[in-house]
Amino acid sequence: MKAWLANIDRRFIYLLVGLGAAAPLLFSFDLPVKATPPVRAVYATVEEIARKSDRAAVLISFDYDPGSEAELQPMARAILRHCFQRNLRVVGVSHWAGNTDLVEEAFATAASDYGRKPGQDYVFMGFKTGGGALVIDMGKDFPGAFPQDARGNDTRNMEAMRGIRSLKDFDYVIALAAGTPGIEMWIAYGQERYRFKMGGGCTAVIAPDEFPFLQAGQLNGLIGGLAGAAEYETLIGRKDEAVSGMRPQSVVHVVVILLIATGNLFYFLSRRKGAESP
Amino acid sequence: MSRLLLCLLTLLPLVAHAQADLLLPSEIRASDAPDDTGGRITVTWRRTASEGPAISYVVSVAESEQGPYYRAAEVNSGSGFLTDAPAEFGRRASNADYHYAHVETYKVPADSARFETRAIQKGRVYYLKLSVTDGQRTVEAPTAVSASALANWFNWAKLNNFILGTTFSILILAFITVARRNPNLYIRKIAGLDAIEEALGRATEMGKPVLFIHGLAGMDSISTIAAVNILGRVARRTAAYDTQLRVSTNDPIVMAVSQEVVKEAYLDAGRPDAYNPDHVFMAAADQFSYAAALEGMMTRERPATNILMGYFYAESLLLSETGASIGAIQIAGTDSYTQLPFFVTTCDYTLMGEELYAASAYLAREPKLMGSLKGQDYGKAFLILVLVLGTLLATLGYNGITYMFTSY
Amino acid sequence: MIFLQRTLPLSIAFLVGMIGILTYYIPVWQDMEETFATWLRIIFAFSFLLGIYSLLHLHWNRIRRRNPGWGYSAFVYIGFGLTFLFAAYNDGKWFLEPQAEGGGLRWMFRYVQVPCQATMFSILAFFIASAAYRTFRARTPEAVILLIAAVLMMLGRVPIGAYIYEGLPTFAQWLMAVPNMAAKRGILLGVSLGGIATSLRIIFGIERSYLGGGEA
Repeated sequence: MKAWLANIDRRFIYLLVGLGAAAPLLFSFDLPVKATPPVRAVYATVEEIARKSDRAAVLISFDYDPGSEAELQPMARAILRHCFQRNLRVVGVSHWAGNTDLVEEAFATAASDYGRKPGQDYVFMGFKTGGGALVIDMGKDFPGAFPQDARGNDTRNMEAMRGIRSLKDFDYVIALAAGTPGIEMWIAYGQERYRFKMGGGCTAVIAPDEFPFLQAGQLNGLIGGLAGAAEYETLIGRKDEAVSGMRPQSVVHVVVILLIATGNLFYFLSRRKGAESP
Repeated sequence: MSRLLLCLLTLLPLVAHAQADLLLPSEIRASDAPDDTGGRITVTWRRTASEGPAISYVVSVAESEQGPYYRAAEVNSGSGFLTDAPAEFGRRASNADYHYAHVETYKVPADSARFETRAIQKGRVYYLKLSVTDGQRTVEAPTAVSASALANWFNWAKLNNFILGTTFSILILAFITVARRNPNLYIRKIAGLDAIEEALGRATEMGKPVLFIHGLAGMDSISTIAAVNILGRVARRTAAYDTQLRVSTNDPIVMAVSQEVVKEAYLDAGRPDAYNPDHVFMAAADQFSYAAALEGMMTRERPATNILMGYFYAESLLLSETGASIGAIQIAGTDSYTQLPFFVTTCDYTLMGEELYAASAYLAREPKLMGSLKGQDYGKAFLILVLVLGTLLATLGYNGITYMFTSY
Repeated sequence: MIFLQRTLPLSIAFLVGMIGILTYYIPVWQDMEETFATWLRIIFAFSFLLGIYSLLHLHWNRIRRRNPGWGYSAFVYIGFGLTFLFAAYNDGKWFLEPQAEGGGLRWMFRYVQVPCQATMFSILAFFIASAAYRTFRARTPEAVILLIAAVLMMLGRVPIGAYIYEGLPTFAQWLMAVPNMAAKRGILLGVSLGGIATSLRIIFGIERSYLGGGEA
């Protein structure tokens, strides 16, 4: 038994993790979510720009694919809801092919909650290739880089694009990234050059990568993973998928910790028994 | 009458004081804003004694000295100090006594309801006037200053960056030249290289294939170049031991290069007959398709050794855990910071970050790699010295080194 | 031939590389950089075609030679063909119109691609658990520190950590913002220097492996 507990079959571990993730979805319980300073910073910036100017413009770069939907889609919805709550204009772009559906879904869901209209309150430009080269083009001439939105509508006369000539005209730029191209590209080709205010959102696994930029001030805030999205939902007062996701995430974390503890306990017991045997 | 006189005498200082609140600044200057592509004029002026929260300065611009003048910029008396822009104005102590404003656009009435925004044009002379306002009264400077916006030939704010970049570049190129003349530059042995030998021996004994997995980066990435050099060494060994080698890539150029490298390695080992181009393949172009294809291959063919070299993303754990589950010996090398923990926990040996570059330079012994590595080492030594010295001096209150390395 | 395969690409790489570096310091040339950026985007678009051709050519060879696993290559063709057909049909509007809201392409994306990609990413959770259980053993003092940090981090990043001890999220944040950031910055400096060195080698034609094939 001890030997088995010291070397549990991986399939049993998968079963435990599966149950740990599934069970909390069936049984509801509340967990308090408290916002951390990097998440609070993004929220505070959106609040600040909403106070300062009439219909400030926010650029959101949706740089993720369906693989990272679970972490970044709730984050995108929460940020969009916040922007629409404060009557901000939102312009969306994407550097990753194959996520236009996800982004349009996020816009549609958030916009319908606050009665916001495409073209007037928001516009999604769709996916364009180029990475850093596209960011440079956006910095020079944003309408030139995107003469049409994802639906083929002319962007130059849209209310959502009023006064936007280049990246410098956005009051805040938020990059939601799952990898490369992502936040680092935006910093190297955009923020460093045009010095706009920039925040980031990313999957939990790459959040440690972005902390140097946060500390250097190149990012003024960072929302990391589903936990960060849950914190943002709490701040805007609209709890949704991310906060619900905290239940299975918490349980699975505890399951993994218990597995590690069990493994270590029986490892030490078997080591001691080995030392005691003649 | 005397009471009236008394009231007047009481109020006079207040009126005088209120009048004194709107003092005109002195030393008003306008010039081309430096370090830009043109289209921007900088106006500076000395602070006055009458500044307060309600006081603002307004810069107006005209295309001729007679006007009309249009509003271009506004600066509250509590902001816009020269100290806020050290890249342009330096760090003199007197900077706190001056304000500045950048003029890039100005609004011209198009009709009764609309304004047209005009940008400052390069090379054209503009006339600027400064006025001070408290929201109710405005006092304007009687004379205008003039300036033109020009495109600059050098961005002086990036001088430190230029010097460091040029020095480092010269260092790298110099060491490559040195390495060409003296190919025996010392590089310490990388421990993971012994693990590769051991792993290849194991595969040979078991009669099972070796699977070499490239990362997701392209051929211009340093980690892919390093991986290809390690592949050359691995291919030479598998050719000599008559062990099957499979190489997977997710990029057509990396595949083409890997095929050449493996073919040459087999030729060098005297086993051109054993080379099979189909064994160096592009598994898939997409990240998770790549992982799925390789996981399937691992479960079916059960290689004895997995070598994962390059830049990996989320698929790293999918690949390495599957490899661990089939009992393969695994050696990974990556400069992807976030994937290192996954490799460390699932692989038998991991080359971390620059160990990958060093391992490839050690194996290939090419002057360009050896020289680059040496240059990088000297660069890092310099940065470590600067970090330690700069932190110490900054703690003691001297920020010279900090400013020297500030990026603007 | 050598001119087209080696000399010309190396000359272009040198010229464009030097312009890219110099325009960073010379504001007057910024327009040139922006023009190059537009050209680069056009070339990127063509590289998609190149990637598609490479993939299809590779899989066609496998089908033709009946290599082991050629059935999967046939499936690549089926998947590509179906997606292409649905995209071209565009729910009846055909390919000259912007992408339709409904149609087969959307259906395939929503009900095939999204679940498949999300599933692959989700497998990581199970693999992390089994890898952590197997290898997180407190064998050495360093491993103990790593274990403690990992446990505190796992608890601090979820709400249950705040239940256990209210300072835990703050400590987890500190771990990310100080020790982790210091380590990441160290690696970033080294890797960045390596990236600069590689770029220099490519610009000066010292590194030619990106051209494909062996050295000339």
